[in-house]
Amino acid sequence: MTLPSLSLLSQSILSGVFIGGMYSLIGLGLGLSWGLLRQINLAHFGFVFLSAYLSYHMATVWGLDPLLTLVLLPPLFFAIGVAMQWLLSRFLISPFNSLLVTFGFTVMIESLIQYVWTADFRRLQSGYGEEKFVLGPLYIPVPELLTLVLAVLFAFAIWAAMRFTDLGKAMRAMAEDGPIAAAFGINQRALSLILSGTCVALASIAGICFALTFTLTPTQIFSWVGVVFAVVMLGGLGSALGPLVAGVIVGVSEAVAMAVFAPSWAPLVSFSLLILMLLFRPGKV
Amino acid sequence: MRSLKRVAAWAAIAAGSLGLMAAGPAPAQSSDPIRIGSTLALTGPLSATALVHKLVGDIYVDDLNSRGGLLGRKVEWLVKDDQSKPDVARTLYEQLVTSDKVDLLMGPYATGAILSAMGVAQRYNKMLIHHTFGIPSLAKYDKHFPAWSVGPKPEETVPTTLFDALAASPKPPKTMALVTSKFPSVHFMSLGAREVAKKRGIQEVLFLEWEFGNRDFGPIAARIKDANPDFVFVGNIGLEGNMLLEAMKKIDYVPPLHFHLYPAPGPMVAAPEGKNALSVTIFEEHPPYTDNPVAAKFVTEFNKRAKAAGFPYTKVEVQAAASFTAWQLLEAAVTATKSFDDAKLADWLKKNQVPTIQGVLRFDRGNNYGDDLMRIKQVQDGNWVTIWPKEVAAPGATLKM
Amino acid sequence: MNRKIVFGIIACGAVLAALPWIGVSAFYESFLYLLFHWVILAVSWNILSGYTGYFSFGHGAFFGAGIYGTAYLAGTLGWPFLATLPAAVLLAAALGLAIGAIVFRVARVRGELFALLTLAVTFVLATVILNTPIDGGPGIYLIGVDIPALGPSQASSIYMLGLITATVALLVSYWVYASKFGTGLFAIHDDEDVAEVMGVPTYRYKLYALAISCGLAGLAGGIHSVFVSYVTVSEVFSITVPLSVVLMSILGGSRHWIGPAVGAVVITCLLYYFTSGDSAVLGRAMVGLILVVVILFMPAGILGLVSGWRHVRRNRAAAKAVAEAPRKEHPPAAPVVRLKKAITGEPLLQVRGLSKSFTGVHALSDVTLDVRKGEILGLIGPNGSGKSTFINVVSGHYKPTRGEIIFEGRNLAGQDAHRFAQAGIARTYQIPRPFSHMTVLENVAMVGMFGGEGKSRAEATRDAQAFIEFAGLAHRAHALPDDLNLHQRKFLELARALAARPKLLLLDEVLSGLTPSEINEAIEMVQRIRDRGTTIVFVEHVMRAVMALTDRIVVLNHGVLIAQGNAADVMNEEDVRAAYLGKAHA
Repeated sequence: MTLPSLSLLSQSILSGVFIGGMYSLIGLGLGLSWGLLRQINLAHFGFVFLSAYLSYHMATVWGLDPLLTLVLLPPLFFAIGVAMQWLLSRFLISPFNSLLVTFGFTVMIESLIQYVWTADFRRLQSGYGEEKFVLGPLYIPVPELLTLVLAVLFAFAIWAAMRFTDLGKAMRAMAEDGPIAAAFGINQRALSLILSGTCVALASIAGICFALTFTLTPTQIFSWVGVVFAVVMLGGLGSALGPLVAGVIVGVSEAVAMAVFAPSWAPLVSFSLLILMLLFRPGKV
Repeated sequence: MRSLKRVAAWAAIAAGSLGLMAAGPAPAQSSDPIRIGSTLALTGPLSATALVHKLVGDIYVDDLNSRGGLLGRKVEWLVKDDQSKPDVARTLYEQLVTSDKVDLLMGPYATGAILSAMGVAQRYNKMLIHHTFGIPSLAKYDKHFPAWSVGPKPEETVPTTLFDALAASPKPPKTMALVTSKFPSVHFMSLGAREVAKKRGIQEVLFLEWEFGNRDFGPIAARIKDANPDFVFVGNIGLEGNMLLEAMKKIDYVPPLHFHLYPAPGPMVAAPEGKNALSVTIFEEHPPYTDNPVAAKFVTEFNKRAKAAGFPYTKVEVQAAASFTAWQLLEAAVTATKSFDDAKLADWLKKNQVPTIQGVLRFDRGNNYGDDLMRIKQVQDGNWVTIWPKEVAAPGATLKM
Repeated sequence: MNRKIVFGIIACGAVLAALPWIGVSAFYESFLYLLFHWVILAVSWNILSGYTGYFSFGHGAFFGAGIYGTAYLAGTLGWPFLATLPAAVLLAAALGLAIGAIVFRVARVRGELFALLTLAVTFVLATVILNTPIDGGPGIYLIGVDIPALGPSQASSIYMLGLITATVALLVSYWVYASKFGTGLFAIHDDEDVAEVMGVPTYRYKLYALAISCGLAGLAGGIHSVFVSYVTVSEVFSITVPLSVVLMSILGGSRHWIGPAVGAVVITCLLYYFTSGDSAVLGRAMVGLILVVVILFMPAGILGLVSGWRHVRRNRAAAKAVAEAPRKEHPPAAPVVRLKKAITGEPLLQVRGLSKSFTGVHALSDVTLDVRKGEILGLIGPNGSGKSTFINVVSGHYKPTRGEIIFEGRNLAGQDAHRFAQAGIARTYQIPRPFSHMTVLENVAMVGMFGGEGKSRAEATRDAQAFIEFAGLAHRAHALPDDLNLHQRKFLELARALAARPKLLLLDEVLSGLTPSEINEAIEMVQRIRDRGTTIVFVEHVMRAVMALTDRIVVLNHGVLIAQGNAADVMNEEDVRAAYLGKAHA
């Protein structure tokens, strides 16, 4: 093992920050609905990929600018989220039952994607893929930067909304104690519809960023579940900023491990770190 | 009301599962069509290439039936979905042999599933021809026949071919970075390449392994750039090669020469950074391969049907060719022996050489493997082109740097 | 334990064991093996996660430890296959114990954090196996491994192994479910802190459950390694195993011993049914749809639905029986020899210099007091004066920062709460905390099993019936706590405390929230409890009750004991009036 050069190390850290941004962007909506609606929404991953494929389709087949899909897709997915919550709210559902139901949805979404776009690989080739900034010895690719910026932007936007707007306060109240909140005149039903819509819209934004950075195949849906779950739980369920911090911690610790030791040992570093934080960090993680 | 609804739903499910248990195919009768059983990973993590195998099988069986079938009997191909799970593959082959009672087996693809199928074939003495099996040393059954002709020791012969090709280039590499996935059928090849390179006096400046499923290739790309080798050997499968190349591009690094073991063919050709990527092949859509009229006809048909089915990459390459070869082997053995008897078929295949679209195959060396027919190909002008050895290279094609 | 069920499981196993000899095609052996495989995994997962509610996403790690245990020992080192199976079990169980021994000590790691931790363990284990000579990358190949003949063919030998293990798993699952151990686990599921206070050794029980769960998963792994005959890290440690077992258990009903097995059978059949190659993708979509519909209409799982019906039927029957029975004027006395009211002056509990601080806040400072045998000691003070903390420390829920809690001459300070319960201290909660998934009867019987003497289930249930009648809840014996009103829940709280047959009963504001007539009823009840010879510490705001019931009172303010003695005298002391009455009655 030789000591890595400074530029290698900083480039690797940057790479870890970027992948951490992706983790947290995917995890943001997942953690919100987990914490505030008490739903473990596996279908979140399905929606991320569905949005990625739609973005791919719009850009490649219809020739739209991928950034335009950032405007088009979220409203559509908001509607999907509202519809899903409308369906689920008609039934009494415990958190772990929601895991099962949304697993069913995910499988259906996966099948739909495979039916329409086949299981073969799809890559969104766009001008943005080529763009990058050079900052001294560091290279900053645009798609990754966009992902990170959006991740930070939405994390803070949601955080601010929860903290300063009446709607956000009502949501937190609902999560703390539903019946009491209802007694104070908070319309739980409407709130949960809005929240679910927002979370799924966030999934669609993550999906578009995903399509800009990664090659798509429907079967990859489940390969992101483990690490994103870890990020969301570490960041704190229902927290807006937590997943961002946790995502960057996981991403950077893996990247540094890859740069300094052997890449194949990287998961050991990040997940041991996670275990230690769970066990020894005082207070709530 | 609520409970009534639940009762209804429950009853529906109960009825469904009853039907599920009762459903089972009727046993085959002789004189009827000849039935060939397979599984493919049509869903699950390996499904990206299953469509290719399914399409090739359909094309071949259609063609076979239009020519009157096998020994005058119509051919019926029974495909099941093993969901990319080896344990399901095993059970499905048990079902094909002992319950569906198919006449012949055709193998799945991917190492794990093929091993499962081979175990079943061995228990019932069925012949098993299979498509893309990565680790010859694990195939110990005497009636298995690999359609992907990589020879008994590909971990030595394939890197040798590669380094021969590199040595013949205008500027042979002196230093190498070897980075590899720990995917089993890839990893042993990479380790083999390491040995061959050492013997050839190529200096290894970097050796890295990553866990299959790695998502962040940034640090690996940065380390390769830091090591600045003449040549990068990438032991990869599926998308890993593309991800690594993209990560390299993001830090403005273009490797002088780069080889990818088992890249997903479509994305590598389509990506701008895939330019000049080297890989291995057994068949590409150009002469001399397409001089064979059977191959030419297959290529046309495959292109047409792949396009109709909406495949993103419609060309015939390793997977499709291996799949087609498997069917050719089966037909050749049945026609020559005039029999559907597994023992006779296997016996014939072991003793004879069979011309196929990837060349002449034989099975008389270690573990029923024959010659290593792996060639070196390169992405040139948005196409995969065979460049080595010279006798199978596309007309005029040589290694570009 | 119901013998019929045990015999039923064994009989089913025996019938299925005949299968290989009656010439069924090998496919059925192979398919049934897959069913057994998932049954074992789902059932074993459920023993910890379903019963205690500690949802684990790490079952893949324990299963993987078993697979790689066998694969390495048999495939690489050449051990005989059967000898590797105990090793696989031990390895997985040891891994579970090691994790549990650390994790279960950290009270924070519950719920999703426990799920996360176990998931992380899976990734860590996978990485270690991949990068060390255990696997190293190429996978382990097991076709050469000899499998001892347990059936006519090699396939049927594996079938028999799967069958035996599945039978054992179901027997273990049922045994745990029906035993005292299982009741403790279910109590942990509903409210771990209360369970501990009621006498359940929660730490030990969780460890045992985890070890059993892991051991069975390891065994399933050991057998599965020869079934697949080629094991690789990416297959073994994929998210499929943890996700599938969770789904199967929820679908089948995770509070039932056979629920996960039913879920495993349904999901495996469903997935297998849609393996026809022509409509593979459509079939997969169907699987998704069916899961959605099933769980929406059966939220408690398939078995949950069945036991739900049974519960409703029993509940109706019980209510009917009580309605038809001739009404008695007074509820019968609890089945205890009525003792003379005798305050001997001999101390039952001696608290010496007891202090408790929470990150800088002194909730109790240097409290010293005696509780005499047979008395009712009133504990009063304004809000935040440390009364509840006192109860929490003396019941063992909090460990004191300093001081001694000498109960019958034995210092209990620093011990786990269940030791307090076993020594004979019971408590009620101000806001009732019944085990929400247990019926009233089960709630009360559970305490008899764990508190004080630790009776058998049958005995405890018999006693519980009497205590429920004593508390006037006989007609709700089979109701769930959520269906009770506050008054009934308070009385359930009392019945539960009594069922422990405590020597010392700590009553934490049992009267709050009750109507005046209900308060009268409750005061009478407390008197009757004392008449049975139970010493009582009575925390209360309702002064009428304090004056009527207590022999002595103790006043706390800001965690400091400021007065004690006869109720009337103490209430006249200056600083008591200032600190307590001054504020409360201003």
